[in-house]
Amino acid sequence: MEITREDLKHLADLSNFSLPEEEMDSLQNDLDGIVKYISELSELNTDGVEPTYQVFEMDNVWRDDEIKAQDANREELLDLTVEEKENQIKVPKVL
Amino acid sequence: MKYIPTIGIECHVQLCTKTKLFSEVDNDARGKEPNSCVSPVDYALPGMLPRLNGEAVKFAVRAGHAMNCAINPKSRFDRKHYFYPDSPKGYQITQFFHPIIGEGFVELPSGTKIRIEHAHLEGDAGKLTHFSNYSLVDLNRVDTPLIEIVSMPDIHSAADARDYAKELWRLMTFAKVTYGDLYNGNMRFDVNVSIAPEGADKLGTRTETKNLNSFRSIERAVEYEIKRQTKLLEAGETIRQETRGWNDATGESTPQRSKEEAKDYRYMPEPDLPPLNLSEEFISAALENFPMMPSDYRKMLGSIVPDATLEVLLDYPKLMEKLSELKENTAALKRISNLFSSVLLAEENFSLLNDELPSKQQLLDLAEMLDKNELSSTGGKEVFIKFFDPEMHFKATREIAKELGVVQENDLGALEAIVDAVLAKPETQKAQEDYKNGEQKVIGFLVGQVMKESHGKANPSAVQEILRKKLA
Repeated sequence: MEITREDLKHLADLSNFSLPEEEMDSLQNDLDGIVKYISELSELNTDGVEPTYQVFEMDNVWRDDEIKAQDANREELLDLTVEEKENQIKVPKVL
Repeated sequence: MKYIPTIGIECHVQLCTKTKLFSEVDNDARGKEPNSCVSPVDYALPGMLPRLNGEAVKFAVRAGHAMNCAINPKSRFDRKHYFYPDSPKGYQITQFFHPIIGEGFVELPSGTKIRIEHAHLEGDAGKLTHFSNYSLVDLNRVDTPLIEIVSMPDIHSAADARDYAKELWRLMTFAKVTYGDLYNGNMRFDVNVSIAPEGADKLGTRTETKNLNSFRSIERAVEYEIKRQTKLLEAGETIRQETRGWNDATGESTPQRSKEEAKDYRYMPEPDLPPLNLSEEFISAALENFPMMPSDYRKMLGSIVPDATLEVLLDYPKLMEKLSELKENTAALKRISNLFSSVLLAEENFSLLNDELPSKQQLLDLAEMLDKNELSSTGGKEVFIKFFDPEMHFKATREIAKELGVVQENDLGALEAIVDAVLAKPETQKAQEDYKNGEQKVIGFLVGQVMKESHGKANPSAVQEILRKKLA
Protein backbone atom coordinates (compact mmCIF):
# COMPACT_ATOMS: atom_id res chain seq x y z
CA MET A 1 0.00 0.00 0.00
CA GLU A 2 1.34 3.38 -0.99
CA ILE A 3 0.54 6.59 0.87
CA THR A 4 -0.74 9.17 -1.60
CA ARG A 5 -1.01 12.91 -1.25
CA GLU A 6 -4.77 12.45 -0.98
CA ASP A 7 -4.32 10.10 1.98
CA LEU A 8 -2.11 12.68 3.63
CA LYS A 9 -4.62 15.47 3.11
CA HIS A 10 -7.42 13.24 4.35
CA LEU A 11 -5.53 12.41 7.55
CA ALA A 12 -4.65 16.06 8.17
CA ASP A 13 -8.29 16.95 7.60
CA LEU A 14 -9.51 14.37 10.10
CA SER A 15 -7.20 15.79 12.76
CA ASN A 16 -7.89 19.38 11.77
CA PHE A 17 -4.18 20.01 11.00
CA SER A 18 -3.11 22.55 8.50
CA LEU A 19 -0.51 21.02 6.23
CA PRO A 20 1.87 23.41 4.45
CA GLU A 21 2.61 22.42 0.88
CA GLU A 22 6.39 22.39 1.50
CA GLU A 23 6.05 19.71 4.20
CA MET A 24 3.93 17.39 2.10
CA ASP A 25 6.74 15.64 0.22
CA SER A 26 8.83 14.75 3.24
CA LEU A 27 5.79 13.69 5.30
CA GLN A 28 4.50 11.54 2.48
CA ASN A 29 7.91 9.95 2.23
CA ASP A 30 8.19 9.30 6.00
CA LEU A 31 4.69 7.90 6.33
CA ASP A 32 5.15 5.70 3.30
CA GLY A 33 8.35 4.31 4.82
CA ILE A 34 6.64 3.58 8.14
CA VAL A 35 3.73 1.78 6.50
CA LYS A 36 6.08 -0.27 4.30
CA TYR A 37 8.17 -1.23 7.33
CA ILE A 38 5.10 -2.37 9.27
CA SER A 39 3.78 -4.15 6.17
CA GLU A 40 6.66 -6.62 6.39
CA LEU A 41 4.56 -8.32 9.05
CA SER A 42 2.09 -9.28 6.32
CA GLU A 43 4.61 -11.80 5.02
CA LEU A 44 3.93 -13.99 8.04
CA ASN A 45 1.22 -16.60 7.76
CA THR A 46 -1.23 -15.85 10.55
CA ASP A 47 -3.95 -18.32 9.57
CA GLY A 48 -5.53 -19.72 12.71
CA VAL A 49 -3.62 -17.34 15.00
CA GLU A 50 -5.77 -15.42 17.49
CA PRO A 51 -5.36 -11.64 17.09
CA THR A 52 -3.18 -10.05 19.76
CA TYR A 53 -4.68 -6.95 21.27
CA GLN A 54 -2.07 -6.45 23.95
CA VAL A 55 1.21 -8.08 24.88
CA PHE A 56 1.10 -8.24 28.69
CA GLU A 57 -1.41 -11.09 28.99
CA MET A 58 -3.25 -9.23 31.72
CA ASP A 59 -6.99 -9.00 32.04
CA ASN A 60 -9.62 -7.60 34.42
CA VAL A 61 -7.48 -4.73 35.59
CA TRP A 62 -9.79 -2.31 37.34
CA ARG A 63 -10.02 -0.08 40.40
CA ASP A 64 -12.55 0.57 43.16
CA ASP A 65 -15.24 3.16 42.64
CA GLU A 66 -13.89 5.69 45.16
CA ILE A 67 -13.34 9.40 44.63
CA LYS A 68 -9.70 10.43 45.13
CA ALA A 69 -8.10 13.85 45.42
CA GLN A 70 -6.35 14.78 42.19
CA ASP A 71 -2.80 16.05 41.72
CA ALA A 72 -4.05 19.15 39.95
CA ASN A 73 -7.06 21.26 40.82
CA ARG A 74 -9.44 23.10 38.55
CA GLU A 75 -7.44 26.34 38.49
CA GLU A 76 -4.16 24.59 37.73
CA LEU A 77 -5.77 22.64 34.91
CA LEU A 78 -7.49 25.70 33.46
CA ASP A 79 -4.16 27.53 33.60
CA LEU A 80 -2.85 25.03 31.05
CA THR A 81 -5.35 26.15 28.43
CA VAL A 82 -4.66 28.90 25.95
CA GLU A 83 -7.71 30.89 26.95
CA GLU A 84 -10.38 30.50 29.60
CA LYS A 85 -13.67 32.26 30.28
CA GLU A 86 -15.98 31.78 33.26
CA ASN A 87 -14.08 28.66 34.36
CA GLN A 88 -14.52 27.11 30.94
CA ILE A 89 -12.03 26.48 28.16
CA LYS A 90 -12.51 28.96 25.35
CA VAL A 91 -11.98 27.51 21.87
CA PRO A 92 -12.51 28.75 18.33
CA LYS A 93 -15.83 27.74 16.84
CA VAL A 94 -15.53 24.34 15.17
CA LEU A 95 -18.06 23.23 12.51
CA MET B 1 -48.77 3.52 -2.10
CA LYS B 2 -48.48 2.29 1.42
CA TYR B 3 -45.06 2.67 3.05
CA ILE B 4 -43.81 0.61 6.00
CA PRO B 5 -41.51 2.49 8.36
CA THR B 6 -38.52 0.69 9.88
CA ILE B 7 -36.92 2.20 12.95
CA GLY B 8 -33.83 1.36 14.97
CA ILE B 9 -32.85 3.27 18.10
CA GLU B 10 -29.51 3.90 19.75
CA CYS B 11 -29.65 4.97 23.35
CA HIS B 12 -26.87 6.39 25.52
CA VAL B 13 -27.36 5.78 29.24
CA GLN B 14 -25.20 7.63 31.78
CA LEU B 15 -24.32 5.25 34.60
CA CYS B 16 -24.63 6.55 38.17
CA THR B 17 -21.31 5.25 39.48
CA LYS B 18 -19.52 7.38 42.09
CA THR B 19 -16.51 8.04 39.88
CA LYS B 20 -15.95 8.34 36.15
CA LEU B 21 -15.18 5.44 33.85
CA PHE B 22 -11.44 6.09 33.62
CA SER B 23 -10.57 8.59 36.36
CA GLU B 24 -11.16 8.75 40.11
CA VAL B 25 -13.14 11.99 40.17
CA ASP B 26 -16.75 12.70 41.10
CA ASN B 27 -19.10 11.43 38.41
CA ASP B 28 -22.07 13.39 39.77
CA ALA B 29 -21.66 16.91 38.42
CA ARG B 30 -25.28 17.93 39.03
CA GLY B 31 -25.36 21.50 40.29
CA LYS B 32 -21.57 21.76 40.29
CA GLU B 33 -19.34 24.41 38.73
CA PRO B 34 -18.01 23.82 35.18
CA ASN B 35 -14.71 21.93 35.11
CA SER B 36 -14.87 21.18 38.83
CA CYS B 37 -15.17 17.39 38.36
CA VAL B 38 -12.08 16.84 36.27
CA SER B 39 -8.69 15.20 36.52
CA PRO B 40 -5.48 15.31 34.49
CA VAL B 41 -6.74 12.13 32.83
CA ASP B 42 -9.88 13.91 31.59
CA TYR B 43 -7.65 16.68 30.26
CA ALA B 44 -5.59 14.02 28.44
CA LEU B 45 -2.37 15.52 29.73
CA PRO B 46 0.73 13.76 28.37
CA GLY B 47 1.44 10.50 30.19
CA MET B 48 -1.95 10.24 31.86
CA LEU B 49 -3.43 6.75 31.67
CA PRO B 50 -7.02 5.58 32.06
CA ARG B 51 -7.86 3.28 34.99
CA LEU B 52 -11.07 1.32 34.52
CA ASN B 53 -13.83 1.65 37.12
CA GLY B 54 -14.79 -1.92 38.14
CA GLU B 55 -18.20 -0.75 39.34
CA ALA B 56 -19.07 0.44 35.83
CA VAL B 57 -18.39 -3.10 34.60
CA LYS B 58 -20.85 -4.43 37.20
CA PHE B 59 -23.41 -1.80 36.20
CA ALA B 60 -23.07 -2.88 32.57
CA VAL B 61 -23.69 -6.51 33.56
CA ARG B 62 -26.84 -5.41 35.42
CA ALA B 63 -28.03 -3.26 32.52
CA GLY B 64 -27.54 -6.19 30.16
CA HIS B 65 -29.44 -8.51 32.45
CA ALA B 66 -32.36 -6.05 32.58
CA MET B 67 -32.62 -6.32 28.77
CA ASN B 68 -32.48 -10.14 28.74
CA CYS B 69 -29.09 -9.89 27.06
CA ALA B 70 -26.24 -12.35 27.01
CA ILE B 71 -23.20 -11.03 28.87
CA ASN B 72 -20.03 -11.55 26.87
CA PRO B 73 -17.33 -12.71 29.30
CA LYS B 74 -14.67 -11.43 26.91
CA SER B 75 -14.80 -7.81 25.86
CA ARG B 76 -12.27 -5.05 25.31
CA PHE B 77 -11.89 -1.38 24.52
CA ASP B 78 -11.09 0.46 21.32
CA ARG B 79 -10.19 4.01 20.41
CA LYS B 80 -12.58 5.87 18.12
CA HIS B 81 -10.72 8.86 16.73
CA TYR B 82 -12.32 12.17 15.92
CA PHE B 83 -11.42 15.80 16.25
CA TYR B 84 -13.72 17.98 18.29
CA PRO B 85 -13.18 20.19 21.35
CA ASP B 86 -15.49 18.04 23.48
CA SER B 87 -12.73 15.41 23.64
CA PRO B 88 -9.24 16.54 24.69
CA LYS B 89 -7.88 13.05 23.93
CA GLY B 90 -8.88 13.26 20.29
CA TYR B 91 -10.59 9.89 20.61
CA GLN B 92 -13.34 8.20 22.57
CA ILE B 93 -12.65 4.98 24.44
CA THR B 94 -15.46 2.61 23.45
CA GLN B 95 -16.05 -1.07 22.70
CA PHE B 96 -16.43 -1.26 18.95
CA PHE B 97 -15.38 -4.83 18.15
CA HIS B 98 -16.07 -6.77 21.34
CA PRO B 99 -18.90 -5.26 23.42
CA ILE B 100 -19.66 -6.44 26.95
CA ILE B 101 -23.41 -6.89 26.32
CA GLY B 102 -24.63 -9.25 23.60
CA GLU B 103 -28.01 -9.98 22.05
CA GLY B 104 -31.23 -9.72 24.01
CA PHE B 105 -34.66 -8.14 23.83
CA VAL B 106 -36.96 -5.60 25.41
CA GLU B 107 -40.64 -6.48 25.67
CA LEU B 108 -43.02 -3.55 25.29
CA PRO B 109 -46.22 -3.32 27.40
CA SER B 110 -48.11 -4.31 24.22
CA GLY B 111 -46.17 -7.59 24.11
CA THR B 112 -44.08 -6.60 21.06
CA LYS B 113 -40.48 -7.69 21.44
CA ILE B 114 -37.71 -5.40 20.23
CA ARG B 115 -34.40 -7.22 19.84
CA ILE B 116 -31.20 -5.69 21.19
CA GLU B 117 -28.28 -6.06 18.81
CA HIS B 118 -25.66 -5.32 21.48
CA ALA B 119 -24.70 -2.71 24.08
CA HIS B 120 -21.25 -1.46 25.00
CA LEU B 121 -19.38 0.57 27.57
CA GLU B 122 -17.82 3.88 26.60
CA GLY B 123 -16.89 7.30 27.95
CA ASP B 124 -19.09 10.35 27.44
CA ALA B 125 -17.77 13.54 25.81
CA GLY B 126 -17.51 17.01 27.34
CA LYS B 127 -20.15 19.67 26.99
CA LEU B 128 -19.84 22.53 24.53
CA THR B 129 -21.75 25.78 24.66
CA HIS B 130 -21.63 27.65 21.37
CA PHE B 131 -21.49 31.42 21.01
CA SER B 132 -21.34 33.54 17.89
CA ASN B 133 -17.61 33.16 17.23
CA TYR B 134 -16.29 30.88 19.95
CA SER B 135 -17.33 27.90 22.09
CA LEU B 136 -16.88 27.15 25.80
CA VAL B 137 -15.87 23.69 26.97
CA ASP B 138 -16.89 22.07 30.25
CA LEU B 139 -15.13 18.75 30.85
CA ASN B 140 -17.23 17.62 33.84
CA ARG B 141 -19.00 15.08 31.64
CA VAL B 142 -15.83 13.71 30.01
CA ASP B 143 -15.68 9.96 30.58
CA THR B 144 -18.88 9.68 32.56
CA PRO B 145 -19.57 5.97 32.01
CA LEU B 146 -22.14 5.31 29.30
CA ILE B 147 -23.66 2.22 27.91
CA GLU B 148 -24.82 2.59 24.36
CA ILE B 149 -27.74 0.29 23.60
CA VAL B 150 -28.28 -0.55 19.94
CA SER B 151 -31.64 -2.01 18.95
CA MET B 152 -32.35 -4.10 15.88
CA PRO B 153 -34.58 -2.36 13.31
CA ASP B 154 -37.65 -4.04 14.82
CA ILE B 155 -39.75 -0.93 15.42
CA HIS B 156 -42.41 0.02 12.87
CA SER B 157 -44.35 2.95 14.30
CA ALA B 158 -43.79 6.21 16.15
CA ALA B 159 -45.84 4.89 19.09
CA ASP B 160 -43.66 1.78 19.37
CA ALA B 161 -40.54 3.96 19.20
CA ARG B 162 -41.86 5.96 22.15
CA ASP B 163 -42.87 2.83 24.06
CA TYR B 164 -39.48 1.24 23.48
CA ALA B 165 -37.65 4.33 24.77
CA LYS B 166 -39.92 4.49 27.79
CA GLU B 167 -39.46 0.80 28.57
CA LEU B 168 -35.69 1.21 28.30
CA TRP B 169 -35.90 4.12 30.75
CA ARG B 170 -37.86 1.93 33.15
CA LEU B 171 -35.46 -1.00 32.81
CA MET B 172 -32.41 1.17 33.42
CA THR B 173 -33.90 3.09 36.35
CA PHE B 174 -35.44 -0.02 37.96
CA ALA B 175 -32.05 -1.75 37.62
CA LYS B 176 -30.59 1.36 39.35
CA VAL B 177 -27.79 1.82 36.87
CA THR B 178 -28.76 5.43 36.07
CA TYR B 179 -30.47 8.38 37.74
CA GLY B 180 -32.68 8.40 34.64
CA ASP B 181 -33.00 12.20 34.65
CA LEU B 182 -33.98 12.79 31.03
CA TYR B 183 -34.04 16.56 31.30
CA ASN B 184 -30.36 16.52 32.23
CA GLY B 185 -29.44 14.11 29.47
CA ASN B 186 -28.97 10.95 31.55
CA MET B 187 -30.53 9.07 28.62
CA ARG B 188 -30.23 10.32 25.04
CA PHE B 189 -31.74 8.69 21.99
CA ASP B 190 -30.79 8.64 18.29
CA VAL B 191 -33.50 7.34 15.98
CA ASN B 192 -32.80 5.78 12.58
CA VAL B 193 -35.82 5.91 10.30
CA SER B 194 -36.40 4.56 6.81
CA ILE B 195 -39.53 3.73 4.85
CA ALA B 196 -40.11 1.20 2.10
CA PRO B 197 -43.15 0.27 0.00
CA GLU B 198 -45.22 -2.50 1.56
CA GLY B 199 -43.87 -5.89 0.49
CA ALA B 200 -40.49 -4.52 -0.65
CA ASP B 201 -37.58 -6.84 0.11
CA LYS B 202 -35.11 -4.00 0.67
CA LEU B 203 -35.17 -1.30 3.32
CA GLY B 204 -35.19 2.33 2.21
CA THR B 205 -32.42 4.86 2.79
CA ARG B 206 -32.32 5.83 6.44
CA THR B 207 -31.77 9.08 8.25
CA GLU B 208 -30.61 9.50 11.82
CA THR B 209 -32.22 12.10 14.09
CA LYS B 210 -29.84 12.63 16.99
CA ASN B 211 -29.90 13.57 20.64
CA LEU B 212 -33.57 13.27 21.56
CA ASN B 213 -34.14 13.34 25.29
CA SER B 214 -37.87 12.94 25.85
CA PHE B 215 -40.32 10.19 24.93
CA ARG B 216 -42.60 12.75 23.33
CA SER B 217 -39.84 14.20 21.15
CA ILE B 218 -38.93 10.67 20.00
CA GLU B 219 -42.52 10.03 18.96
CA ARG B 220 -42.82 13.39 17.22
CA ALA B 221 -39.44 13.14 15.49
CA VAL B 222 -40.30 9.69 14.10
CA GLU B 223 -43.75 10.87 12.96
CA TYR B 224 -42.16 13.87 11.30
CA GLU B 225 -39.54 11.77 9.55
CA ILE B 226 -42.07 9.22 8.24
CA LYS B 227 -44.19 12.05 6.81
CA ARG B 228 -41.20 13.85 5.33
CA GLN B 229 -39.83 10.72 3.64
CA THR B 230 -43.26 9.65 2.36
CA LYS B 231 -43.77 13.06 0.79
CA LEU B 232 -40.36 12.91 -0.91
CA LEU B 233 -40.91 9.42 -2.30
CA GLU B 234 -44.39 10.28 -3.52
CA ALA B 235 -42.94 13.26 -5.36
CA GLY B 236 -40.51 10.90 -7.08
CA GLU B 237 -37.51 12.21 -5.16
CA THR B 238 -34.88 10.23 -3.26
CA ILE B 239 -34.01 10.19 0.43
CA ARG B 240 -30.56 11.42 1.36
CA GLN B 241 -28.72 9.48 4.03
CA GLU B 242 -27.97 12.15 6.62
CA THR B 243 -27.92 13.14 10.24
CA ARG B 244 -30.72 15.44 11.34
CA GLY B 245 -31.26 17.64 14.37
CA TRP B 246 -34.65 17.89 16.04
CA ASN B 247 -36.11 21.21 17.13
CA ASP B 248 -38.73 20.61 19.78
CA ALA B 249 -40.11 24.15 19.58
CA THR B 250 -40.85 24.07 15.84
CA GLY B 251 -41.60 20.34 15.70
CA GLU B 252 -39.27 19.96 12.73
CA SER B 253 -35.89 18.43 12.04
CA THR B 254 -33.20 19.87 9.78
CA PRO B 255 -30.08 18.32 8.23
CA GLN B 256 -27.05 18.89 10.43
CA ARG B 257 -23.98 20.41 8.92
CA SER B 258 -21.37 17.73 8.92
CA LYS B 259 -17.98 17.42 7.28
CA GLU B 260 -17.68 15.24 4.22
CA GLU B 261 -16.08 11.91 5.04
CA ALA B 262 -16.48 12.64 8.73
CA LYS B 263 -17.11 8.97 9.48
CA ASP B 264 -13.57 7.68 9.38
CA TYR B 265 -12.87 6.89 12.99
CA ARG B 266 -9.70 4.79 12.51
CA TYR B 267 -10.65 2.36 15.27
CA MET B 268 -7.76 0.63 16.99
CA PRO B 269 -7.47 -1.52 20.14
CA GLU B 270 -7.01 0.65 23.24
CA PRO B 271 -3.47 -0.24 24.36
CA ASP B 272 -3.83 1.27 27.84
CA LEU B 273 -6.66 -1.00 29.00
CA PRO B 274 -6.27 -4.77 29.26
CA PRO B 275 -9.28 -6.77 28.06
CA LEU B 276 -12.08 -8.00 30.31
CA ASN B 277 -12.44 -11.71 30.92
CA LEU B 278 -15.34 -12.00 33.35
CA SER B 279 -15.80 -15.17 35.35
CA GLU B 280 -19.20 -16.70 36.02
CA GLU B 281 -18.69 -15.81 39.68
CA PHE B 282 -18.11 -12.16 38.85
CA ILE B 283 -21.26 -12.02 36.73
CA SER B 284 -23.47 -13.75 39.29
CA ALA B 285 -22.07 -11.55 42.08
CA ALA B 286 -22.88 -8.45 40.01
CA LEU B 287 -26.47 -9.71 39.68
CA GLU B 288 -27.00 -10.42 43.37
CA ASN B 289 -30.10 -8.78 44.86
CA PHE B 290 -31.24 -7.79 41.39
CA PRO B 291 -34.30 -5.54 41.84
CA MET B 292 -37.76 -6.30 40.50
CA MET B 293 -38.19 -5.33 36.86
CA PRO B 294 -41.32 -3.90 35.17
CA SER B 295 -42.32 -7.40 34.02
CA ASP B 296 -42.17 -8.62 37.66
CA TYR B 297 -44.39 -5.73 38.73
CA ARG B 298 -46.82 -6.47 35.94
CA LYS B 299 -47.09 -10.00 37.30
CA MET B 300 -47.46 -8.76 40.87
CA LEU B 301 -50.15 -6.16 40.13
CA GLY B 302 -51.63 -7.33 36.83
CA SER B 303 -54.64 -9.04 38.37
CA ILE B 304 -55.44 -6.33 40.92
CA VAL B 305 -54.80 -3.03 39.13
CA PRO B 306 -56.17 -2.13 35.68
CA ASP B 307 -53.49 -2.22 32.97
CA ALA B 308 -53.73 1.48 32.16
CA THR B 309 -53.26 2.42 35.82
CA LEU B 310 -50.36 0.03 36.15
CA GLU B 311 -48.57 1.55 33.17
CA VAL B 312 -48.82 4.97 34.82
CA LEU B 313 -47.57 3.69 38.17
CA LEU B 314 -44.62 2.04 36.41
CA ASP B 315 -43.23 5.48 35.63
CA TYR B 316 -42.32 5.79 39.32
CA PRO B 317 -39.62 3.28 40.27
CA LYS B 318 -39.50 4.33 43.95
CA LEU B 319 -43.26 3.97 44.23
CA MET B 320 -43.18 0.50 42.69
CA GLU B 321 -40.49 -0.57 45.12
CA LYS B 322 -42.68 0.67 47.96
CA LEU B 323 -45.68 -1.25 46.66
CA SER B 324 -43.58 -4.40 46.46
CA GLU B 325 -43.15 -4.20 50.25
CA LEU B 326 -46.88 -4.91 50.50
CA LYS B 327 -46.91 -7.88 48.18
CA GLU B 328 -47.66 -10.42 50.93
CA ASN B 329 -50.96 -8.66 51.64
CA THR B 330 -53.00 -8.63 48.43
CA ALA B 331 -55.95 -6.71 49.91
CA ALA B 332 -53.68 -3.93 51.19
CA LEU B 333 -51.71 -3.93 47.94
CA LYS B 334 -54.90 -3.41 45.97
CA ARG B 335 -56.20 -0.60 48.18
CA ILE B 336 -52.88 1.22 48.32
CA SER B 337 -52.17 0.87 44.59
CA ASN B 338 -55.57 2.33 43.86
CA LEU B 339 -55.01 5.17 46.30
CA PHE B 340 -51.71 6.06 44.68
CA SER B 341 -53.19 5.99 41.22
CA SER B 342 -56.43 7.84 42.00
CA VAL B 343 -55.15 10.44 44.43
CA LEU B 344 -51.77 11.16 42.94
CA LEU B 345 -52.33 10.57 39.28
CA ALA B 346 -55.94 11.59 38.70
CA GLU B 347 -55.16 14.88 40.39
CA GLU B 348 -51.82 15.03 38.59
CA ASN B 349 -50.05 15.41 41.85
CA PHE B 350 -46.92 13.85 40.37
CA SER B 351 -44.54 15.99 42.37
CA LEU B 352 -45.62 14.27 45.59
CA LEU B 353 -43.97 11.12 44.29
CA ASN B 354 -40.58 12.75 44.45
CA ASP B 355 -40.94 13.24 48.18
CA GLU B 356 -40.32 10.62 50.76
CA LEU B 357 -42.91 7.88 50.41
CA PRO B 358 -45.08 6.68 53.35
CA SER B 359 -43.71 3.82 55.43
CA LYS B 360 -44.86 0.25 55.00
CA GLN B 361 -46.55 0.39 58.44
CA GLN B 362 -48.45 3.59 57.63
CA LEU B 363 -49.75 2.01 54.44
CA LEU B 364 -50.72 -1.29 56.07
CA ASP B 365 -52.54 0.57 58.87
CA LEU B 366 -54.39 2.67 56.33
CA ALA B 367 -55.49 -0.42 54.41
CA GLU B 368 -56.66 -2.02 57.63
CA MET B 369 -58.67 1.02 58.77
CA LEU B 370 -60.34 1.12 55.35
CA ASP B 371 -61.07 -2.59 55.59
CA LYS B 372 -62.70 -2.19 58.97
CA ASN B 373 -64.73 0.79 57.80
CA GLU B 374 -62.99 2.96 60.34
CA LEU B 375 -62.32 5.26 57.42
CA SER B 376 -64.65 6.09 54.56
CA SER B 377 -63.01 6.11 51.13
CA THR B 378 -63.01 9.93 51.29
CA GLY B 379 -61.49 9.88 54.76
CA GLY B 380 -58.89 7.38 53.56
CA LYS B 381 -57.86 9.72 50.78
CA GLU B 382 -57.55 12.64 53.20
CA VAL B 383 -55.28 10.62 55.47
CA PHE B 384 -53.27 9.36 52.50
CA ILE B 385 -52.57 12.87 51.26
CA LYS B 386 -51.32 13.85 54.73
CA PHE B 387 -48.64 11.14 54.39
CA PHE B 388 -46.92 13.60 52.06
CA ASP B 389 -47.40 16.65 54.31
CA PRO B 390 -44.05 17.65 55.82
CA GLU B 391 -45.85 18.44 59.10
CA MET B 392 -47.65 15.12 59.30
CA HIS B 393 -45.80 12.45 57.32
CA PHE B 394 -43.93 11.03 60.31
CA LYS B 395 -47.12 10.41 62.32
CA ALA B 396 -48.91 7.08 62.64
CA THR B 397 -51.93 6.55 60.39
CA ARG B 398 -54.43 6.44 63.24
CA GLU B 399 -53.01 9.61 64.75
CA ILE B 400 -53.38 11.47 61.45
CA ALA B 401 -56.94 10.16 61.05
CA LYS B 402 -57.86 11.34 64.55
CA GLU B 403 -56.35 14.77 63.98
CA LEU B 404 -58.34 15.10 60.79
CA GLY B 405 -61.44 13.89 62.64
CA VAL B 406 -62.24 11.31 59.98
CA VAL B 407 -62.32 8.13 62.06
CA GLN B 408 -65.77 6.66 61.51
CA GLU B 409 -68.01 5.61 64.37
CA ASN B 410 -68.76 1.93 63.87
CA ASP B 411 -69.89 1.22 67.40
CA LEU B 412 -73.48 0.16 66.72
CA GLY B 413 -74.67 1.10 70.22
CA ALA B 414 -73.27 4.61 69.93
CA LEU B 415 -74.64 4.97 66.40
CA GLU B 416 -78.10 3.84 67.48
CA ALA B 417 -78.15 6.50 70.20
CA ILE B 418 -77.38 9.18 67.65
CA VAL B 419 -80.00 7.83 65.25
CA ASP B 420 -82.60 7.85 68.04
CA ALA B 421 -81.75 11.43 68.92
CA VAL B 422 -82.18 12.47 65.28
CA LEU B 423 -85.46 10.60 64.92
CA ALA B 424 -86.79 12.42 67.96
CA LYS B 425 -86.15 15.83 66.41
CA PRO B 426 -89.25 17.66 65.11
CA GLU B 427 -87.56 18.58 61.80
CA THR B 428 -87.20 14.90 60.85
CA GLN B 429 -90.80 13.91 61.48
CA LYS B 430 -92.07 14.71 57.98
CA ALA B 431 -89.26 12.75 56.34
CA GLN B 432 -90.03 9.74 58.53
CA GLU B 433 -93.70 9.93 57.43
CA ASP B 434 -92.69 10.20 53.77
CA TYR B 435 -90.38 7.22 54.07
CA LYS B 436 -93.07 5.09 55.63
CA ASN B 437 -95.36 6.14 52.76
CA GLY B 438 -92.91 4.65 50.29
CA GLU B 439 -90.64 7.59 49.47
CA GLN B 440 -87.38 5.66 49.63
CA LYS B 441 -85.10 8.52 48.68
CA VAL B 442 -85.73 10.61 51.82
CA ILE B 443 -83.45 8.11 53.57
CA GLY B 444 -80.61 10.21 52.18
CA PHE B 445 -81.87 13.26 54.07
CA LEU B 446 -82.11 11.27 57.30
CA VAL B 447 -78.62 9.79 56.87
CA GLY B 448 -77.36 13.34 56.32
CA GLN B 449 -78.95 14.49 59.57
CA VAL B 450 -77.28 11.66 61.48
CA MET B 451 -73.92 12.41 59.87
CA LYS B 452 -74.32 16.04 60.90
CA GLU B 453 -75.20 15.05 64.44
CA SER B 454 -72.09 12.78 64.56
CA HIS B 455 -69.87 15.55 63.14
CA GLY B 456 -69.22 13.39 60.11
CA LYS B 457 -67.74 10.53 62.04
CA ALA B 458 -70.53 7.99 61.59
CA ASN B 459 -70.16 5.30 58.97
CA PRO B 460 -72.94 6.26 56.52
CA SER B 461 -73.73 2.74 55.34
CA ALA B 462 -74.06 1.54 58.92
CA VAL B 463 -76.32 4.53 59.66
CA GLN B 464 -78.51 3.74 56.70
CA GLU B 465 -78.90 0.16 57.82
CA ILE B 466 -79.95 1.20 61.34
CA LEU B 467 -82.40 3.78 59.95
CA ARG B 468 -84.05 1.24 57.66
CA LYS B 469 -84.51 -1.16 60.52
CA LYS B 470 -85.97 1.48 62.82
CA LEU B 471 -88.38 2.84 60.21
CA ALA B 472 -89.48 -0.55 58.92
